[in-house]
Amino acid sequence: MRWIGFVVIAAFFVSCKKDATRWQTEWLLPVLNDTLSLAHYYNDSTLSINGSQIDINLSRTLLDLSLTDLVKIPDTSISQQYQSNFTVNNVTPGFVFVNSVKVHELDLGDIQLKKVRVQSGQIQLKVYNPLNTAVLYQIELPGVSQNGQAFVQNYTVQPGTAQNPTTATENIDLSGYEIDLGGLQGLEFNQLQSKLTLKTDPNGQTVTIYNNQVFKYEATFKNLRFDYAKGYFGSTLIADQQQFTLPYLDKITSGTLSLPDLSLDLQIENGFKMALRAQIEQLSATNTQGQSVALNAPSIGPSMYISPAVGNWNTLQPSTLNLHFDQNNSNIKSYLENLGAYQQLSYQLQPNPWGNTSAGHDEAFAHSHLRLKVSAQMPMALSADGLTLQDTFELNLAQNLQKSHVTAATVVLDATNAFPLACDLVLYFMKDGQILHTVIADAQLASALLGQIDPSDGLLKKKSKIKIVLPPALVADLQDLNEVAVSASFATTDPSTGLAVQQQVQANAFLALQLQLQLQTQIRP
Amino acid sequence: MRYLFVLLLLSMQYAQAQQSLLINSYGTYNSTGVRRQVADAFFYGGLIDSSQIKQSLDQLQARNTFGLQMGLNAQWQSPWMVSKDQKKWGSSYRWVFGAGVNQYAGLQFSKDFFGLVFRGGLPYTGDTLDLSNLRAQATTFSKLGVGLYNPTTQSSFLVHFVAVQQHLGATIQKGTWFQDPSTAQINLDLIGQANLSSFSSNTYGVAIDIDYRFGASDSSANEPQFQLSIQNLGFARCFQSSTYSLDGSLAYAGFTLAEWQQTNLQALASAYLDSLGFEQTTGPSWILLPAQIQLAKTLDWDSPQRLEAYYGAQFMLRQTYTPLVYVGAQLKVKQAWHTGLGMAYGGFGGLRMQAYSAFRFKHSELLLRSDNIALQNGASIYLQYRCDF
Repeated sequence: MRWIGFVVIAAFFVSCKKDATRWQTEWLLPVLNDTLSLAHYYNDSTLSINGSQIDINLSRTLLDLSLTDLVKIPDTSISQQYQSNFTVNNVTPGFVFVNSVKVHELDLGDIQLKKVRVQSGQIQLKVYNPLNTAVLYQIELPGVSQNGQAFVQNYTVQPGTAQNPTTATENIDLSGYEIDLGGLQGLEFNQLQSKLTLKTDPNGQTVTIYNNQVFKYEATFKNLRFDYAKGYFGSTLIADQQQFTLPYLDKITSGTLSLPDLSLDLQIENGFKMALRAQIEQLSATNTQGQSVALNAPSIGPSMYISPAVGNWNTLQPSTLNLHFDQNNSNIKSYLENLGAYQQLSYQLQPNPWGNTSAGHDEAFAHSHLRLKVSAQMPMALSADGLTLQDTFELNLAQNLQKSHVTAATVVLDATNAFPLACDLVLYFMKDGQILHTVIADAQLASALLGQIDPSDGLLKKKSKIKIVLPPALVADLQDLNEVAVSASFATTDPSTGLAVQQQVQANAFLALQLQLQLQTQIRP
Repeated sequence: MRYLFVLLLLSMQYAQAQQSLLINSYGTYNSTGVRRQVADAFFYGGLIDSSQIKQSLDQLQARNTFGLQMGLNAQWQSPWMVSKDQKKWGSSYRWVFGAGVNQYAGLQFSKDFFGLVFRGGLPYTGDTLDLSNLRAQATTFSKLGVGLYNPTTQSSFLVHFVAVQQHLGATIQKGTWFQDPSTAQINLDLIGQANLSSFSSNTYGVAIDIDYRFGASDSSANEPQFQLSIQNLGFARCFQSSTYSLDGSLAYAGFTLAEWQQTNLQALASAYLDSLGFEQTTGPSWILLPAQIQLAKTLDWDSPQRLEAYYGAQFMLRQTYTPLVYVGAQLKVKQAWHTGLGMAYGGFGGLRMQAYSAFRFKHSELLLRSDNIALQNGASIYLQYRCDF
């Protein structure tokens, strides 16, 4: 019986549980206020205004190699040392006991450099003194000079021992230094000379030099970059396969796009005073449906030879090779209309294809570049028929229904469209990739073709107001949804015929968007 | 033995002397315009439907108040005289001890503010809402004190040590809200401050209670006796209170696509708070306690008149409280039962009907009162109990 009493008491208290205080409010929340136009792309080698229309004036650099990329000296250490073969007694203060030159070979593969000028980089010098008196070190790099003055560094290194030699270290900036790698006679290549001179402290004591004492220095070249190089730059093959994705094209899920006739130019620029072989092996594009189209043209495949650049320093004139693709010599139109988001380019570049024919007189300057450029020009006009772009965004609108929360929502889109495109919007609300709710806008974002010319700016434009009502069931599921896919289907429909026709994009066209949220919320303080 | 004898003598003396216990509790909420159903939903829960909100809005004036007071106070009037020497003034007074817990919450607001909170911004697009002169004051404190009282006149004076559990003082001197109906752009102008201290802020102070009776000492003079009561007159020092201030304007029309992509919401919110001139400081502050001053005609149990008037006025040191006046007629139903019916105006509400009943027993008295019998936008109950033993 006791438990019945407990249940009765518990039921009494449960029945007295306070219901949550709550009321409904309605809010209008501005979310997005922006004008999308092509203004950011004018005159930056993408788009240009030509009268009342926009021209696509595309210019992109696919490859850009400079002197630093082509001619490198890896971080290299050289050292020079002196060790007596016998014990020398009574070495008086100020005694010079080493004065020798050493030649160091640099391993640069098939590159044979005679002369370079350092744009940036350092040398780290470290000297060791094992003698029990101070020693004056003079380190000279005869081939390294600035303004005609050879690189010379003097150090007074304090006394040390054979077991624990005293060291001195210094980092020196080599920017602006010229390095002659021609060796003693100037006829060699990749050779660096150094000279070490040692003198005991003139104010020190008389000492003995033992045969176990090693006098040495180490020089480490770091991060060397050059703005001038002369020699033979080798003939190493530069072969690469570049893959890149064109933005937005990877979002196209269906529909077609028709473009006007156009041409495309590929330019290979040789800013080095050396011969160059170039070969475009393949250029292909794959769209989101998996269809691939390869660009076919006579210049795709065979090797082409580009003569050396001419001039010096500021008078340097690169040598260029232009490859032109149009409807007459290629399938460029079908290549582009395939809307290939995934582009693949295979190429080969080879300096000095016939070897060292310049006898080591290849030259490169600060402005020398090896470039691969693509450019295209056409009026910006298109014909779209159900061209559908779809993108998926993460959604995190979890709300606690026990606290203040949204009970109903309507997305309101106010748009002014000056593009000749109409757009139908569909939203797919998903949970873990599975579509739970599909919401269709109540109207179409109308094409500018249906509007009138605004005398203030002379543009044809059309206003639209679109409402996307999120049903209560969707709002109730908001805490479970984690993705939304926005599908926008475009068409350049002729208002009179209802058929998709090619339309030109008017100059200064824009799409002004104001996105607002009408929210009905239950407030629970 | 001698000390034990003295102690026994004193105890007997105290046991023979009269002592009293007074308990005073109250709970009241009221508004000049907000309907009772709206306020009730905050106390008892439930949905505030749109019709109740609309009816409240229809009643609201440009300036409105809503307030809440609750408290429980006890006083022990001891039999211990301050001085046993009849020649000294202290022989007329006895020690009295008091303790209590009180809560005051008052809100002064505009009709537009109520509409914005309870209906949202959508119904007001295109209208400029006036949020100015918003004032919110809330204080919860407890007190423990000691003092003197005169058994003859019933006057008393107590000094309390006060601990403030929570305090909020907020004002918006100037505030406007406008939402453009076509672009939905929200324009908000705000100038305001808020001071907040919580239990952890170590807020302590002192307060005095004065109960002064004057006029006729008994009914034989056929003149009324009055009570001037001052309670909780004092202050407290908060050693760590937070002060927030706003002085700026905000124009929000939505974000651009680049802003949505490149900036996080927290940074955007911070930028908007900056444009509103939001500042937060922390430091010590003084708090004036919600003192209550009341002047009223006292109840005379021995009055020969069967029907007579009662009246009084009450004032609080709070800007959200308007002076309360009340007047009514009281009827001596029996020698031990008086009851009264009257009207009250002020405080947190408008004109309303009040009633009370007082009962006298052999050693105790009980008074029940409500200021919200009819015409009310609130509810109230006052309970006073006195026991002499």
